Amino acid sequence: MKILRLENLTKNFGGLIAVNNVNIELQEGEILGIIGPNGAGKTTLTNLVAGTLEVSSGKIFFQDSDITNLPAHLRVRIGISRTFQTVRPLKDFTALENVVVGALFAKGESLSQARESAYKVCRFLKLERVDSYPDKLTVFELKKLEIARAIVCNPKVLFLDEVMAGLNFEEMKQMIQIVKSLKDEGMTICVIEHVMSVISELTDRVVVLDRGEVIAEGPYLEVSKNKRVIAAYLGEED
Amino acid sequence: MRKLSFIIGAVIFAVFLPTFADMYLIHVASSIMIFMCLALSWDMMLRTGQLSFGTAGFFGLGAYAAIIAVDDFSVSPVMSIFIGAIFAALIALGLGVAVLRLREMYFAITTLALTSVFMVLARNLSNLTGGAAGKILFHAIFDGDPKKIYWLILSFAIVVIALSEVFERTRIKYAISSIRNDELVAKSCGINIFKYLLFVFIITSAIQGAAGAIYAQQYAFVEPESTFSSNFLLLPVAMALVGGIYSTPGPIVGAIVLGFASEYLKLLMPYGHLIIYGIIIILTIIFLRKGVYGTILDKVRSK
Repeated sequence: MKILRLENLTKNFGGLIAVNNVNIELQEGEILGIIGPNGAGKTTLTNLVAGTLEVSSGKIFFQDSDITNLPAHLRVRIGISRTFQTVRPLKDFTALENVVVGALFAKGESLSQARESAYKVCRFLKLERVDSYPDKLTVFELKKLEIARAIVCNPKVLFLDEVMAGLNFEEMKQMIQIVKSLKDEGMTICVIEHVMSVISELTDRVVVLDRGEVIAEGPYLEVSKNKRVIAAYLGEED
Repeated sequence: MRKLSFIIGAVIFAVFLPTFADMYLIHVASSIMIFMCLALSWDMMLRTGQLSFGTAGFFGLGAYAAIIAVDDFSVSPVMSIFIGAIFAALIALGLGVAVLRLREMYFAITTLALTSVFMVLARNLSNLTGGAAGKILFHAIFDGDPKKIYWLILSFAIVVIALSEVFERTRIKYAISSIRNDELVAKSCGINIFKYLLFVFIITSAIQGAAGAIYAQQYAFVEPESTFSSNFLLLPVAMALVGGIYSTPGPIVGAIVLGFASEYLKLLMPYGHLIIYGIIIILTIIFLRKGVYGTILDKVRSK
């Protein structure tokens, strides 16, 4: 069953077309990878789905209802969460309080319930220094914090925007386990990633974007042999 | 526990102050508390990340609304304070829908401009406001008894302090601090940014309106230039900065320090006291970036 459908989605910034007529369907329970060279429109796509950017044309359907014009703060309440490519912790809050914010407003919990949920999520992610302020946390902890704040909202669909960037090999292995366990929890996940080994290990299917357009779609092994995909990454031969 | 007993002690002291203090001290304390409420309300808006320069404007609106309510509509003086608050809140609701789409400098300048607009309106709607000559209150509140006025202002101050603490201890704190830190993250966590900004703008404007109404009752007079005076913006801002922003104790400490300093300096040097006053403010901002309260808090925490 499809849970999220992007229909002819287009976003332009003035003359620059960042996302061009994109059609993507997300099946419930799958992990979809979105790959593509820098500037392909991956993060723009995330922003359009999360509602932090307005679409220029096209439609977004979530569980068959049209959410194209739904404000961002309501999208997270119906079940679409995202992490930010560059971590954006709230600096005046401790790690735990950062997570509490999500539980308070996305789920509408009371303060004590929210603290409970936040603890639970942090334990699940093995984020230990919950009382530290973000400036004292490591990159890995900050990445976990991004995920914690997103999943405490109980998302049905989760967009992970380059959560592996900046992690070492060992941390990456742990992060892959985390993403897999989120899938086991029943979340539908969209991974935007540059690290191909991660994509091949995690995803059921990938979509390749180049200059805002979908140029290939399918299982990773198949797509990675596609000539247009190779050309997009390495440049074309004359 | 020590904190609680300190608060109870301070409240008891404040309540019984008029029984032993002279008229002069009662008057100074009343005026400091009014400014303290303005400082707190300005800080409460700042906690959302929005720098408002509209404090004097809503103060003046409340003052005018209260005097007009009593003089022209025979409302009781105590009731008129609520009218001042409600009037300021309604205007904030109407204007907030537009100005709260602005951010940073643009929001600050627009709120400052609103104050001038209110003043021009007060000067020109002479049938209602008495125009440039101003308007006199015929029946002073509590027949002008300074002790009763003091207690009225004290009750108001306690309400404002309690409100400020509600802003610090409930989900409101999580919403407004998130908005101040990062609006994109706040949105992505399900916070309705506009709703919270409007809510805080209305509450703080109501506080400013009530403060203006009480001030008008106390002095029984409003006049465009002095009622919308920039003093009702600059002094509260200075108090909050000197005491420490983003907290309840900060503006309170700042109001007490600057309030008494200015009284003392006035006696010491009747003419040059504002220069010294200005120097105190500049020095605290340069050397105590987090204000008096914020710096003490940091010292205690780092021990």
